[in-house]
Amino acid sequence: MTGIDPKIKRGSGELAILALLDREPLHGYEISKRIAQHTGGVLQFNLASLYPLLYRMEKRGWVKGKWEEAPSGRQRRYYHVTPKGKKQLAPLREEWGLFFQALHRIAGVSPAG
Amino acid sequence: MVDHYDHLKICMGELGLAPDREEEILRELSDHLDDHAATVEARGIEGGVAAREVIDGVSNWPEFRKAILAAETEETMMNYRTKALWLPALCALTLSNVLLAGVQVLGPLTHLDWLNPYMRMRPFYTFLIPWFILQPAVGAIAAYWSRRAGGSVRHQLIAALAPAIAWLGVFVLVLPFSIFLDKHGVNHVRLSAFLLMTAIWVLLPALPLLLGAGPFLRRSQTQC
Repeated sequence: MTGIDPKIKRGSGELAILALLDREPLHGYEISKRIAQHTGGVLQFNLASLYPLLYRMEKRGWVKGKWEEAPSGRQRRYYHVTPKGKKQLAPLREEWGLFFQALHRIAGVSPAG
Repeated sequence: MVDHYDHLKICMGELGLAPDREEEILRELSDHLDDHAATVEARGIEGGVAAREVIDGVSNWPEFRKAILAAETEETMMNYRTKALWLPALCALTLSNVLLAGVQVLGPLTHLDWLNPYMRMRPFYTFLIPWFILQPAVGAIAAYWSRRAGGSVRHQLIAALAPAIAWLGVFVLVLPFSIFLDKHGVNHVRLSAFLLMTAIWVLLPALPLLLGAGPFLRRSQTQC
């Protein structure tokens, strides 16, 4: 399976993270694991690509990090989507939807499998 | 299980953020590495090897550090370069030239007229030598400032050598251009004299600047 261009990955990361956190709060490692699992490994975020993105989203007020106890008993910084972040979800989904429609029209791109 | 916190602190170096926030970021990143290492160990890989694997997962620590800082301060790259390169370079240039002016007036050897019979080239001992002696401090200040602002080794080097680079610009660009434009003209420009002056004003100051900057050009962290 070929990797995704980093620029595309960066752009889609915000939508992926907001969509995940909209379901439940997660800490950083769990976010990266879930993104890899749900995308079949196509989208992967490691330490270097995930945390600058998370911190930027936190600065914008889209997500908020809080130290909470994980099931393992250790303290982890869990991210919660904020009301401002929730408001971003619909426009981001629409934007990406339009983008893929356009790609489909011009390049015949369709969801694999 | 290996605690990645100390290793992370070495790899990231000082971030220059508020201490609480810096501690929080390091702790969070360390937790991520711990979880990742645990996942790798669950595949049957030995603890030390797993720890190495997760650390090596970050291919470029300085870039990662810059990305974290940019996210935290929402700086643009231009702001980063201003703080890490241009401001320290400007400081070095200003300080070096203020010192040059200062030693010409207040220099320790300026009034030692008794040295005249013994020294053919008075400028060397009245201001050039004292100025050279002060250049390591200029180089050190610029390199340290650039490093504190998160500058790369290249930025630190350029900032420290800014005075010499500026003088190089004068000799390579400004002087030839002004000679060309000068209506009264200069019939003979002796290359040897030109090269000697370039060496005195560019190469010689560059050495003490580098000497001062040297300790700061080495990154404090060990190999990640």
